[in-house]
Amino acid sequence: MKIYIRATESISPQLSFGNEGLLADLQVYEANRLSCLEPDYKSLIDPKQIRRMSRVIKMGVASALGCLKKADVEVPDAIITGTAYGCLEDTSSFLTKLVNQNEEMLTPTAFIQSTHNTIGAQIALLLKCHNYNNTYVHRGFSFENALLDAILLLKEQSAENVLVGGVDELTDTSFQILNRFGFFKQAFTNELYNAPSKGSIAGEGASFVLLANQPGNNDNAVLEAVSTFYKPATIEESQEKINRFLLDNDLSPNDIDVVITGRNGDETNDVVYDQLMSGMFRNKTEVCFKHLCGEYPTASSFALWMAASIIKKQKVDKKLIHHGEDVIPQRILIYNHSQGIHHSLMLISGC
Amino acid sequence: MDKLILELKEHIIEQLNLQDLTPADIGDDEPLFVEGLALDSIDALELIVLLQQQYGIKLSKAEDGPKVFASVKTMAEYITANKA
Repeated sequence: MKIYIRATESISPQLSFGNEGLLADLQVYEANRLSCLEPDYKSLIDPKQIRRMSRVIKMGVASALGCLKKADVEVPDAIITGTAYGCLEDTSSFLTKLVNQNEEMLTPTAFIQSTHNTIGAQIALLLKCHNYNNTYVHRGFSFENALLDAILLLKEQSAENVLVGGVDELTDTSFQILNRFGFFKQAFTNELYNAPSKGSIAGEGASFVLLANQPGNNDNAVLEAVSTFYKPATIEESQEKINRFLLDNDLSPNDIDVVITGRNGDETNDVVYDQLMSGMFRNKTEVCFKHLCGEYPTASSFALWMAASIIKKQKVDKKLIHHGEDVIPQRILIYNHSQGIHHSLMLISGC
Repeated sequence: MDKLILELKEHIIEQLNLQDLTPADIGDDEPLFVEGLALDSIDALELIVLLQQQYGIKLSKAEDGPKVFASVKTMAEYITANKA
């Protein structure tokens, strides 16, 4: 059974929202922290509901509603979100109040907004959708596990269409903490990929896809397979896992036209991509995405949005090609890892 | 009383994040729930916390809630009657 990507939507540091994919006007940032370009939410979300929504909830809800609108689906059979950090700003605000007010007189709204499943719940509330609703909070696997759940639902025919999204926000506090861990570059570089140094650039986003188990008239692409592997000991082990993934789908590296890698400019992070692109995928076109959206645990949802757009347009924008030739893409492999721990593979092809 | 009513409206707008409203948009006798501002049960909890935080008043009987929170004016009357 094929899984069709009927529609996609993304709020990101790019002009992605409301546009049919990449990217007429690429936003180039001279910073080590990228923030989403957000739409006017008042025109998208019921004003009565919006007052209880924090920024990340609005990002998630608007992206989800935009995706459903493009898919011409009013109420999906399931809503599944993936988020590593959840509603971070509200969590921070709620915990601060908890301490400052000696655990007394805490307001319900701050608590409601602080839970990880708030985004999925708010989407359901707005749609009056009582169907399956789940949120995966598994660090760098959060979005992938949401996708895997959706695929299972569709394949066992418990659902005909599933709304799946990956959402994470970056706050001042989280940026400072992650920066202290050395996750981000200390100075801006416009040679993110060509002069790797320690750290990457921080990012955030909310990207949704509507998956269906029957073909529609205007599908973007087919999601052929998703797989994850945890903490490989060596680069050879990663290569072995990728080979196995391709073999399981009756494919070889030669069947891949474009590899979208999670290259992020960190010298340690990118070694595995260097080896792959000079080894098993040496003649293949490589596209990168983290200079567009920054590094965050569910950044692979932005990569899937981008891949679906590339497949639909049958064209790779030259500005996105990191290495290799301009090709007409029939099949894309997304290989991403988060901090060298959570590795994921997604296979996307034409309908 | 007028000063308290104005102050209360400002607190309500801030606590409930009623971004598009000003105190002038809320009538003194306008219903807060169902009609008027059309607040809901979560807002009711926010208003209870507001009374406690801003005026040090605990709503002792839950059954008094509908009467106390009928309008800004009834809230102001309750605060005046119960403020130490």
